[in-house]
Amino acid sequence: MKPKKDLITIESLSDEDICTILESAVSMKEIFTKSVKKVPVLRGKSVLTLFYEPSTRTRSSFEVAAHRLSADVTTFTPSTSSVVKGESVHDTIDTLMSMKMDYIIVRHKNSGIPAVIARHCNASVINAGDGAHAHPSQAFLDAFTIREHFGAAEGRRVVIIGDILHSRVARSTSCILRRLGAQVAFMGPRSLVPPMRYTGIECLADWDAVFAWKPDVIYLLRVQNERIENPFFPAADYHHAFGVTEQRLRRIEDEGMAVMHPGPVNRGVELCDAAMEYKNCLVCNQVENGIAARMSILYHLTPGTLS
Amino acid sequence: MTKTCITHAIWAPDGQECDVCTAPAVNASNILSAGDIPVPGVAQVTPAGKMKIPAQSRVIDAAGKLLLPALYDLHTCIEIPGRSKRECIMRAGEAAVRGGVWGMLVLPSPAFCFDNGAALDSFREAAEARSVAEMMPAGCISLGMRGNEQAPYNTLSTMRGVRILSDGESFPNNLLMLYRSMQYAADLELIFAVRADVPALTTHTYAHPSSTAYKLGLHPCPPCAEEIGTETLLRLAEATGARLHLQLVSTAESVRIIRRAKESGRVKVTAEVALHHLLYTHENIGNYDTVYKTVPPLRDKGDCEALLEGVKDGTIDCIVSAHTPCTPFSKKQDFISAPAGMVGLDTMLPTLYTKLVKPGLLSWAELVQACCLRPAAIASPWEDEEGGRATAPLLLFDPEEEFVVDEASLACGTLNTPLLGEKLYGKVTLPLH
Repeated sequence: MKPKKDLITIESLSDEDICTILESAVSMKEIFTKSVKKVPVLRGKSVLTLFYEPSTRTRSSFEVAAHRLSADVTTFTPSTSSVVKGESVHDTIDTLMSMKMDYIIVRHKNSGIPAVIARHCNASVINAGDGAHAHPSQAFLDAFTIREHFGAAEGRRVVIIGDILHSRVARSTSCILRRLGAQVAFMGPRSLVPPMRYTGIECLADWDAVFAWKPDVIYLLRVQNERIENPFFPAADYHHAFGVTEQRLRRIEDEGMAVMHPGPVNRGVELCDAAMEYKNCLVCNQVENGIAARMSILYHLTPGTLS
Repeated sequence: MTKTCITHAIWAPDGQECDVCTAPAVNASNILSAGDIPVPGVAQVTPAGKMKIPAQSRVIDAAGKLLLPALYDLHTCIEIPGRSKRECIMRAGEAAVRGGVWGMLVLPSPAFCFDNGAALDSFREAAEARSVAEMMPAGCISLGMRGNEQAPYNTLSTMRGVRILSDGESFPNNLLMLYRSMQYAADLELIFAVRADVPALTTHTYAHPSSTAYKLGLHPCPPCAEEIGTETLLRLAEATGARLHLQLVSTAESVRIIRRAKESGRVKVTAEVALHHLLYTHENIGNYDTVYKTVPPLRDKGDCEALLEGVKDGTIDCIVSAHTPCTPFSKKQDFISAPAGMVGLDTMLPTLYTKLVKPGLLSWAELVQACCLRPAAIASPWEDEEGGRATAPLLLFDPEEEFVVDEASLACGTLNTPLLGEKLYGKVTLPLH
């Protein structure tokens, strides 16, 4: 693949880029089976994680990925830094660039921030989630998990269920899966699913329509209570109307569908407890594959070059 | 006194060749010739060759150039964050004249909070000294624009000549206060200039509900927010008898609502549209181009068309620049953090000509109605001391001349216009002496 400086969205990648990153994620995962789970490809390189939004999984996944590639990792915590004193993102980045970082992994509640940072500095910028815009590393780990489980994503049918409106995961994951030849549909509360004329993606009305659509993967999104100031739906309805209940789980088991979730799971909201134990529940595979996918992303980006 | 006579110009509203003679003073009421093409509220112009050129007058042969009344802009915010008031006033005045705008309504902003007589006096004094264009301040509706206590309308209007009230860029969240203000001010013939988008529905929204909003993950701003506000304000105006001016109308449905209200004849209402809402859609935002961040947001092509139709049939009374300077750094931020707004004064007439008149979307006669006569009638800025309506100043416009919008062509002090680097047609000569 051509040298790329940043990873901001899936849309900015060519089909070749996507395949290259996914294929080397497989080799990265093989490293995990060795007794020494570390390779020296990024030795001497410095990685900064800059998370303006709370995150445990994505951040530690990136940190583990960087460590396994032998990079030095620095954690910048805006909530305890000058950012709370009102420093602009530009000034924070200028400060950080003086520290000569090679990779900056950024998460922010505002859509579009990683692109602003990428334009502003020489380091490779990896978008670890910006507002409702994009979450490309999640898309890679989801695509990787589906390829691993089914052999290929092509021809597979994936229904994404939940808060599509606020979900960067829905945007990036649906994009990568369609690029790989999978079919994607959305389902969720009417107030949280943008119409097909905006998304280009079919909207299914309810679970009956979901089962009738014959999906291979049921992908549940997290109900993001922290992102919603005024409720979009009555919370008490959610599990019954949109979650995987025990009754629905039986049908999912019968038809052998896979269940995925970006985590962290709200048990009893998106998934019933039993769903977490289901053999085709791929949530833990997603976490493990997240490290491999992120190692592959770090490996394929080239700091200081133009995208 | 030397007079300036312009010969062989083309009178833009009807395309006839004409002559006109002005005195050097910029005040339009000094236009001398009373001729054969009467235009209400504007100078009278003589058909070419019929005018006696006074002795010792300076003659400009304006063959091939268009003559039209200068523009009046009912929506400008002149504050440039971080700059002195003097500079803001000077730059906005210079920018206006470059764009063919002779007079403007200056909306209150934090630095120009016109909620008391002293603030108005000091602004007027500064504007007189530093601005080449006429600046009329809009008084605040509420003290400090906070929306909880009325500004002194009597002081502002009868003693300081304020005709239009506005709380700048915000919808009056306190409808009770607005209702009482409208009741109180109805007899003062004050106009309430208000934006209609209801904050309860627009808080934390950044784009029109569209593929753009979805793709960029920007929370959508529903058009009904503005339409609900429009209905509400029309009902308030009807109930109180106050005059209402709807600012920055942006949706097709709003145009229909206003058309119905005007047809009913029960409401004293006028309305405006920002030039950018006629020219651009949400698709221009592309990959988070902050220059296209506006409030209300840029909408669909269908909305642009309905708005233009509204301008042509008079439902929308005027086209405004919605001039809003934003510093380069502030627009370099991410889309959500960056301030909304574009500058438009410098390029007003060339943009109107290049994008609307030249492609045949708007006639010169319609442009003169929407950008000069109707806004002037709303603001009545040129009324003389006896209360008679004076005439607007004229400008010459050379439609053949072209220029590329760059830093040097913008006098407004900031560069937040999507026209940067674009070629526009038309050179404005204003004033004519």
